[in-house]
Amino acid sequence: MDGRIAATWRPPRMCEDYLNEFRHCKSFSNRFHHYYAYGTFPACHQWKEDYHNCRQWETHSNTEAKEALQKSERTRVAEQKNFKPVWELRREPPRDWHMPLNQENPRDS
Amino acid sequence: MDQTKQDEDYGYELFPERHEGMHKKSPFKEALTTFNHKCQFMLQVAMETSPYAKLLLSAMNNSGCKVSKDRHFSCEDCDGSVSGGFDAASSQVVLCQNNIHQQAHMNRVVTHELIHAFDHCRAHVDWFNNFRHLACSEIRAANLSGDCSFTNEASRFHLGLKEHHQECVRGRALRSILAVRKISREEAQKIVDEVFDSCFNDHAPFGRIPHSKKDAKFAYRDYMNRSRYYANL
Repeated sequence: MDGRIAATWRPPRMCEDYLNEFRHCKSFSNRFHHYYAYGTFPACHQWKEDYHNCRQWETHSNTEAKEALQKSERTRVAEQKNFKPVWELRREPPRDWHMPLNQENPRDS
Repeated sequence: MDQTKQDEDYGYELFPERHEGMHKKSPFKEALTTFNHKCQFMLQVAMETSPYAKLLLSAMNNSGCKVSKDRHFSCEDCDGSVSGGFDAASSQVVLCQNNIHQQAHMNRVVTHELIHAFDHCRAHVDWFNNFRHLACSEIRAANLSGDCSFTNEASRFHLGLKEHHQECVRGRALRSILAVRKISREEAQKIVDEVFDSCFNDHAPFGRIPHSKKDAKFAYRDYMNRSRYYANL
């Protein structure tokens, strides 16, 4: 692996953010909203583990902790993409977004 | 194409100021007889202070659709109890100045309509001909804007707990479609059901369902941090 990349790697989030997410996850308010939306209670332990691994990397440059953290975040990203889109994404924004109002705008998006 | 029929088909009758030939009103008269200034003021506050709105504006900027308050928002009088709309033909968010009287409501309407604008910006959404696309954007807007929060539902006397959020999202998406398109309730329900799982799970650009302002602040923080995040995955 390229030594330069390894030297400049840092956790995807600040360690403090993991701790804040863990606390927020466990809060009554969040547990209530999760039940209200999904009918279940949230699993919060992963945030705590991520915080622990983040601190392990920061204090001891522990590569196992780094890999565990990366794996956890990649799983989170994959979970966010776990649906089949209904529409096709654009490569460029709509042509008429910035056009002045008094011009004829085509209906085609 | 006959303009009247086109307007009826796409719900433009709810927004009478959008009809042709009704734009010119004396600004002085308008200031005295409408809620226009109050609407403009509340809009400014929403854009500057709501983490929901700030995140969406930032995401749109990064998608190539920089939002200009004067070009992309319009405070107008609307029919009935409609709070707002997104007009894809003119790339404008319409805010119903006669129906929005509280800042919290303005924040929510701005968020809801910006979600439509964001979808318009990042995807080929066929607003006028594809009901699945319309349903999807309505599901997302109801899901992510706070429309279906426990407090808002309770204030409508819709009391429910387990998974009620989803029931609310389905219901509001259905209502929104029926308000702007000539389609039967059964047909609209079928379309909402078809696209629900996909669209309910599409949380862009929030990365989560922002149930509260705190969630929205966390989402905004994550969005502003995304370069570092993706670079170190």
